[in-house]
Amino acid sequence: MGDINLKMLLESKSLERAPFPIPTGWFFIGFSDSLAAGEMRNVHVLGQEWVLFRTESGKPGMSDPYCPHLGAHMGHGGKVCGEHLRCPFHHWEYDTAGWCKSIPYAKLTPPIIKKQAVLRTLPMVERYGMMWAWFHPACEAPSFELPYIPEMEDASGYAGTRRGSWTANTCIQEIAENGVDTAHLKFLHGAPIIPPVEASYDGPVMTLDIGRGYIVGKSYGPGLNVLRFTQHGVTATMISYTVPLTHDTTQMNMSFRHVDYAEGTPELQASKKIIDHMIGAAEGEESAGFESVDFIVWNNKKFRPNPLLCDGDGPILQFRKWFQQFYTDPGYVKV
Amino acid sequence: MSELRVIGRDGSERRLEAFEGGAVMDTLRDAATGILGTCGGACSCGTCHVYVAPEWLDRLPAKGEDETMMLEAIGELVPLRAGSRLACQLPMTAALSGLVLEIAPEL
Repeated sequence: MGDINLKMLLESKSLERAPFPIPTGWFFIGFSDSLAAGEMRNVHVLGQEWVLFRTESGKPGMSDPYCPHLGAHMGHGGKVCGEHLRCPFHHWEYDTAGWCKSIPYAKLTPPIIKKQAVLRTLPMVERYGMMWAWFHPACEAPSFELPYIPEMEDASGYAGTRRGSWTANTCIQEIAENGVDTAHLKFLHGAPIIPPVEASYDGPVMTLDIGRGYIVGKSYGPGLNVLRFTQHGVTATMISYTVPLTHDTTQMNMSFRHVDYAEGTPELQASKKIIDHMIGAAEGEESAGFESVDFIVWNNKKFRPNPLLCDGDGPILQFRKWFQQFYTDPGYVKV
Repeated sequence: MSELRVIGRDGSERRLEAFEGGAVMDTLRDAATGILGTCGGACSCGTCHVYVAPEWLDRLPAKGEDETMMLEAIGELVPLRAGSRLACQLPMTAALSGLVLEIAPEL
């Protein structure tokens, strides 16, 4: 850290919009019910193409498309055979962990395939009715687990089918930074005041309290946020599962849940109004949700590694320091 | 220039000029001895199996894990001998000039 200097502030041409690689973490890949047993499809996420498939027994797999043998794209003409993904070219077969399990014509098995996986695959879990993949640029194993979310996993107590997807032309770090940028809540969103914010950090988990209990939530790595909004004793929950498509294009996905109040009750109405308010303009509210105001900034801004901050700004730099842990290349440490 | 003394599958003996810098396999493959060297020296195909003459064995580099695994698997298809090696795992050096080896049977 050094002093801000004028040259740095004037040099905007050399700034980049998203000067970060794809971060490490658990990322949403799709809804579980969108991929049947035996099905396979190509997906573009996390900066490359992958073959997403589900084995006959129901296990999801996500693999690099190109066969380690002679490079055929397994998502074009390949198929799921039992528990394996089979390459169309010579019928070599791989399991969901990337181990080559069959070469139908070789008399001898190459020693390397008995010792290790030879195809890059991503570790996957299914939670909240969704498929999640663990991305690490150097293929390291998951270093934390996804949390229990009662609103998604306790089917008896919660309701709400509303969900949506938005694409922002920037990286996750830039999107997530708005969570601690409380001053923008007044000036961009039109909130009546700049709400106080408290952020605390524990490993991959960031805990946020905005407006002394109004918005309370946690981020679990870069790919999952659970935020609970409470007004007049009624709480509604935004579950946000964001996935990088490329290093500078991000798909934001959200599910909105609330307590399963009876039809026609004021609590149900209040819950739905809170959810309206999270997303966009809500009746009787001065401030606007992210859909109406944040994208114009995200889609056009540049990242300032040495921003000119003033008193009243939120804990931006602490947030950036926390986020650095999701980049493994020390060359990306900019703060 | 180094030399290999090669006993072929038909029992005939040939002397081959060997270029240092590659593997013994490269010389055998290029001289049409029946050695295929399909994988190019990655120790993944087992098609360069040779029997090295006993008097040369202690001058060879030790077998690695992959070569050992591959020879074990080869042993289920063709006979192994004390001198069984994969020629791709033997760097051709001046010290090995005159090496005597026999081409093992096809898999």
